Amino acid sequence: MKRDIAQQLEGYQDVLQLVQAAETLGEDFSSERGAVAAYLNRLHPARLSLRVSHIQMETPSTKTFRMVPVDGVLPPFQAGQYVALQVEVNGIRTNRPLSIASSPSQTGYYDLTVKRVPGGLVSNYLLDTIQVGDHLASSAPDGSFVYNPLLHGRRLVFIAGGSGITPFMSMIREVSDRGLDRHITLVYGNRSEDDIIYHDELTVMAARLANLTYVPVVEQPGPAYTGEKGFMTGALIEKAAGNLNGAMVYLCGPSGMYDFCLAELQARGVTARRIRREMFGPPVNVSRSPGWPAGIEEDDHFTVSIVDGPTISARAGTPLLNTFEEAGLAPPSQCRSGECSMCRVRVMKGRVFQPAGVPLRQSDHRLGYVHGCVSYPVEDLEILMEARR
Amino acid sequence: METYDAVIIGAGNAGLTAGAALAQGGAKVVVLERHTIPGGCATSFCRGRFEFEVALHQLSGIGTPEKPGPLRMVLDQLGVMEHLTFMPMSDLYHVMIPGKLDILLEPDRARTTATLKHHFPDEAEGIDAFFDLVYRVFGEVIGAFYFKDPDVHRDKYPLYFQYGLKPLQAVLDDHFRDPLLKTALTPYWTYMGLPPSQLSFIDMAAMLFAYIEFLPFHLQGGSQALSTALADRIVQCGGRIRYNCPVARILVENGRVTGVATAEGETIRARQVVSNASKIATYVDMLAPDQVPAAVWGELKRTSISPSAFTLYLGLDQPPEALGISSSTNFILGHTDADMAYARMKDRDIDHRDGMMMTCYTLIDPTFSPPGTSQVALITLKFGDAWLQVPPAQYAAEKYRVADAMLQQAEQVFPGLRTHIEEMEIATPITHMRYLGTPRGAIYGFEKHIKDSPVFLPNQMHIEGLFLAGGWVGGNGFQPTLESGFKTGQAVLRRLEMHQ
Repeated sequence: MKRDIAQQLEGYQDVLQLVQAAETLGEDFSSERGAVAAYLNRLHPARLSLRVSHIQMETPSTKTFRMVPVDGVLPPFQAGQYVALQVEVNGIRTNRPLSIASSPSQTGYYDLTVKRVPGGLVSNYLLDTIQVGDHLASSAPDGSFVYNPLLHGRRLVFIAGGSGITPFMSMIREVSDRGLDRHITLVYGNRSEDDIIYHDELTVMAARLANLTYVPVVEQPGPAYTGEKGFMTGALIEKAAGNLNGAMVYLCGPSGMYDFCLAELQARGVTARRIRREMFGPPVNVSRSPGWPAGIEEDDHFTVSIVDGPTISARAGTPLLNTFEEAGLAPPSQCRSGECSMCRVRVMKGRVFQPAGVPLRQSDHRLGYVHGCVSYPVEDLEILMEARR
Repeated sequence: METYDAVIIGAGNAGLTAGAALAQGGAKVVVLERHTIPGGCATSFCRGRFEFEVALHQLSGIGTPEKPGPLRMVLDQLGVMEHLTFMPMSDLYHVMIPGKLDILLEPDRARTTATLKHHFPDEAEGIDAFFDLVYRVFGEVIGAFYFKDPDVHRDKYPLYFQYGLKPLQAVLDDHFRDPLLKTALTPYWTYMGLPPSQLSFIDMAAMLFAYIEFLPFHLQGGSQALSTALADRIVQCGGRIRYNCPVARILVENGRVTGVATAEGETIRARQVVSNASKIATYVDMLAPDQVPAAVWGELKRTSISPSAFTLYLGLDQPPEALGISSSTNFILGHTDADMAYARMKDRDIDHRDGMMMTCYTLIDPTFSPPGTSQVALITLKFGDAWLQVPPAQYAAEKYRVADAMLQQAEQVFPGLRTHIEEMEIATPITHMRYLGTPRGAIYGFEKHIKDSPVFLPNQMHIEGLFLAGGWVGGNGFQPTLESGFKTGQAVLRRLEMHQ
């Protein structure tokens, strides 16, 4: 606007005085240099540099890696949150989300518990290669599988399967450390007695704490086993926890466990509002998921051409994100469960399979945006990867 | 090394419309965005079976195909209208002070004035006069500035010259006696972040005029649908968007912009750079102090940083009617003292002295949340300063504490709300700072004081080739920032043509 117009406005001189005063008395924003980044770095750093300070053998197939900061301090987290641990295995840069198992009141380290996945790229690497003193990078803690004091109340039922125990371990340790008034029933399913992680610690804590009930459940126990056997049925959960009405039920474990337990809970009238479930990675045998196209085998391969990038061969039963990583492309990623949106790519041509329940935005559907971590090629594809480094 | 006609820093509203205007105009353009999704504020996130709208509350400037608003014309020119479904809102707003005030206004001048006169019969004359003034003043503003009259002078636009710098409160006091009426007419001050004693009357006139004449709109798929459509338009026109690509520095040689350097250390050359980052991030963080002209430091110093917000995003397991929610836009206030409400914005706590907005667009758009549920947002403006004082280790607990206080206030009007929450996410000023990168989590750019309006502080180019677009160099909110980017894109195009 022209200055001569401004000068004719009623009250111009008065406002001009305010301008002059502010120019003298106002804040010097040059001191803001780096301020946003510095603050956020205390709470949500982009990347953590960690060192393995201790390795604990938990079961024949599981170890806990105690991670301390290489420099500085670790950001705080809420019990139940995870970090994405970055690794390079056989030249493949990838990451895995691992729930922090230690208590949030323990600020010196994060305990990350890793269970061997037969044939798994990362678990075998971590368990067989990583030594005390090794350095690893990770994301900052993230995730919304946490206790909400406004909504969740005092009666909590935790249903864990296998390594799905880790977020619950953090929550239970916090309740123990801080003497919190929350009543927890943990129902913890495993294939065999040998697979139960933290069994001794949980047994000791349950004996000590009146507000913790611990019920291990073993699918295929040995002859000496005397505890609960078989699957985690609704009847078993109710027997352990009492009436589920009014309780908050949390689930963390493999997809098969969700399918089974969710149906059991729903049959007992537990509403969606009273169920919290952690995203636990892509399904193990995706071709058994409802809706998987007939006639396509997991070992079938399709051609994926990346716009302005290479053309690669992709296995139908492998998440696209993993295929991209194997091809040396490293799109950003974090949760590997379809939740964080980091690895979103756009399918320009062709079709992918996405398991039911993967959260997509309404607008993603129109333009073909998908989460690479939970999308499987079932046709030849053309992919736009806009977050490629 | 990559070379472009123009680089755009940030895929917020203004970055996207600037990018689309440039790509469509044939420029070789790249948009660099540090997140993995476009939109900035104009985005959404998923929790459980809900997709939550982050920031859009009542989109202004759309109008109807027969009577298009300025934003519809911009989106039409950018070729994205056909992909978007806009839904007009039947309510302007529902304003409440429990026990004292309860008025629902509609986006229709005659009905709004009739409703106000029904509630305040003694002030009928003032109500007519106020709306008459709003329309006449804004009519002058449109004639003088929107249609770019080359000869603006006092005889032609007397009301503009009289009211152009007046605070809203003075005009309210001229027309009304009852503080409840003044409150009922002005809850939109929170859309700009300054109470009536400091907000320009012209700004309020613009909001009332725009919402009544062009109606408030909701957008199917939320603001993310618009951001995604604009991003797609850029790509369709041959432009590029790179996500996960934060810019660290703007490169300047011999006083003119030559490109940017990314945080990864990559150099991207361009003769024109459009920054949709905050003005402070642009000049203080992305440039070295000696590259910034003295005039910029003066501009920064005279301004102050706008508030951020504290927001609860709620996914409820009941439809709106079952929860007693009957209006899509609700202002829940505790009193008529806007100055006190503004002063309270410096405090972290929330109590009856804070006003809040409660929106529920499930009422307008059944696809906004799954069948049988509703999506609700509770928002109150808060400055970020007090949140920066919270030690990181106490941050989560403080978040829950304040969220609890906010729910208590909302439950005064909607009892039992808490017992139906299926999903909840809490955003504090720190959350806004994290996702927007703005100092103190500011959501409205600089405060929109009269002394910092474009009359006194025009959006000038201080470094050759460096443009700023968005809420830090003009109006805040969706319509102004989207239009700001479009105009900036056009200005860059003109420059590019000049150089050819």
